[in-house]
Amino acid sequence: MRPADWIVLVMAMVSVVAYGLYRSRGSGTVDRYLLAGKTMPWYAMALSIMATQASAVTFISTTGQSYVDGMRFVQAYFGLPIAMVIICATVVPIFHHAKVYTAYEYLEQRFDSKTRVLASVIFLFQRGLSAGITIYAPAVVLSIILGWPERVTITLTGATVVAYTVMGGIKAVTWSDVQQMGIIFVGLVVALVTVFILLPPSVSFGDALYLAGAAGRLNAVTTTFHWNDRFNIWSGLFGSTFLFLSYFGCDQSQVQRYLTGRSIAQSRLSLLFNAVAKIPMQFFILFIGAMVFVFYLFVEPPVLFHRAELSRIQGVTDFQPVESAYQRAFEHRREAALGLVEARHDGDSAARSRRLSEYRAAQREIDDARSRASSLVESTGGEQGFNDTNYIFLSFVTKYLPAGLVGLLIAVVLCATMSASSGEINSLATVTVVDLYKRYFHRAGSDHHYLLASRWATLLWGAGAVAFAGFGRKLGSLIVAVNILGSLFYGSLLGCFVVALAFRRVGGTAVFIGMLAGEAAVFSAFQFTGMSYLWYNVIGCVVVVVTALLVTAALSSTGLSSTGLSSTETRRQSG
Amino acid sequence: MPEARDVPDEAPPFLRTWRRVYIGVLIYLVAIIAAFYLFTRSYR
Repeated sequence: MRPADWIVLVMAMVSVVAYGLYRSRGSGTVDRYLLAGKTMPWYAMALSIMATQASAVTFISTTGQSYVDGMRFVQAYFGLPIAMVIICATVVPIFHHAKVYTAYEYLEQRFDSKTRVLASVIFLFQRGLSAGITIYAPAVVLSIILGWPERVTITLTGATVVAYTVMGGIKAVTWSDVQQMGIIFVGLVVALVTVFILLPPSVSFGDALYLAGAAGRLNAVTTTFHWNDRFNIWSGLFGSTFLFLSYFGCDQSQVQRYLTGRSIAQSRLSLLFNAVAKIPMQFFILFIGAMVFVFYLFVEPPVLFHRAELSRIQGVTDFQPVESAYQRAFEHRREAALGLVEARHDGDSAARSRRLSEYRAAQREIDDARSRASSLVESTGGEQGFNDTNYIFLSFVTKYLPAGLVGLLIAVVLCATMSASSGEINSLATVTVVDLYKRYFHRAGSDHHYLLASRWATLLWGAGAVAFAGFGRKLGSLIVAVNILGSLFYGSLLGCFVVALAFRRVGGTAVFIGMLAGEAAVFSAFQFTGMSYLWYNVIGCVVVVVTALLVTAALSSTGLSSTGLSSTETRRQSG
Repeated sequence: MPEARDVPDEAPPFLRTWRRVYIGVLIYLVAIIAAFYLFTRSYR
């Protein structure tokens, strides 16, 4: 990092925190601290929702994903508009009219306290682990790319996030998210423009698209179906609809954003903005990765983008033939790419066909050499399942972007980390205080008491996330497991809310048993099948609904109460 | 802790009803998938 990079980075970080705190003035009551007094405009909520969902890994990993696998990851977002429409039509008005602070508070109104507690505990467990990983994941990449000690990055981002989240509550989180999204947008546009500028003068925008497409990097839609294939149009439309229904309908880190709206219409608009803007945004990020791929057709990339592992295996005897094969394949591919561009300009279809075959064959040789290098990492004591996807984009940024822009792109990564983790910490504190502390430990406290409790809960969850992130290195490949862990719980939570909204006759006991059955089904699918995690949400949801209906029918036939009315409603009716 | 404040419902700022807005979003989804499909076919 050069001085200009540091200046841009520090200015971006300081302005984000200062602006967030400035806009959070007057958060001196619980209602204002946790729900911003329900005064937020739609555009602030919309950008906050987008920022909370987009962690640093989104930018680091997504670009690398399209570099190695093309743009088909965008299909994982096809279910988002469907989910947003369903949520806007159902849960948004229900949550607002129920006057709740959390999504799980509504479950007690509808079912009973045990269902609320189960849902709250599932959320705290899953989101609590995720909060640590959100802070850790970019730290490990920055430590390898820039040489920054992991502990420094974790402490710096963690302390900054905790400070403004504790002080300003959800208003600080939301308004700093808005500014962070602004920095992220600017950074991404600058990155794409810079990639084009760095391409050889003989390669036009159309040529770049052609070369990326010929190597399978512009495969935005794939129609082939397979259960184990994570990203195709079918898993995108069906599997991801359930995932996003769970995420935006049942996850407090998202629900809390749109509960701050000054009207139901404002909350709906914030979600529908995401329904419309999110797919193009993901397409844009993936497109940057595809263009980085085109850049590296003409400039030799390292065999592996993970510098430390590459240095380590360079001393191994078996690496020499791999490197030689890689360099030869790169030269073949470069020549074929230039020949392909020339044949395209000349309109020579025979030459184009011949060059295309050479180009694709050279790409297969490169993929093969990279695969052999990865195997070498694993066989010489490195991480099993080694993958350098997360290092591709930042490696490009730090090596080829001019002074100042590197600082801007690092700011993008740190802003994404802060926006995602501030939302997580804020929602964890809210559920802890509203659904557990106030409900079971201190029912009749003053407003000031709960405000103080909320600040303490924020501080403790933030400190916990930073501490957990500090152990990230010891987690190793468990990070992948922790990410999958999230998808293991969403389906059951979604099923619980589907029953709450769609089946009025189902009661708390039935849905509680249904949730346990749903979890059992999802864990079985995880343990015994290799299916894509997007389908876990469908399985969990369907099993909860079916089991709850069966239990209700069984209870009715035995003469026991199967009413969907809550305990309060039952008492009211019997009284 | 006070109960969270109730908020009013309002008509959307465009297309008059929420139902029409939702249909518009779903039409947009179909259009964007079709555009991506054509994009994929054009450059494969």
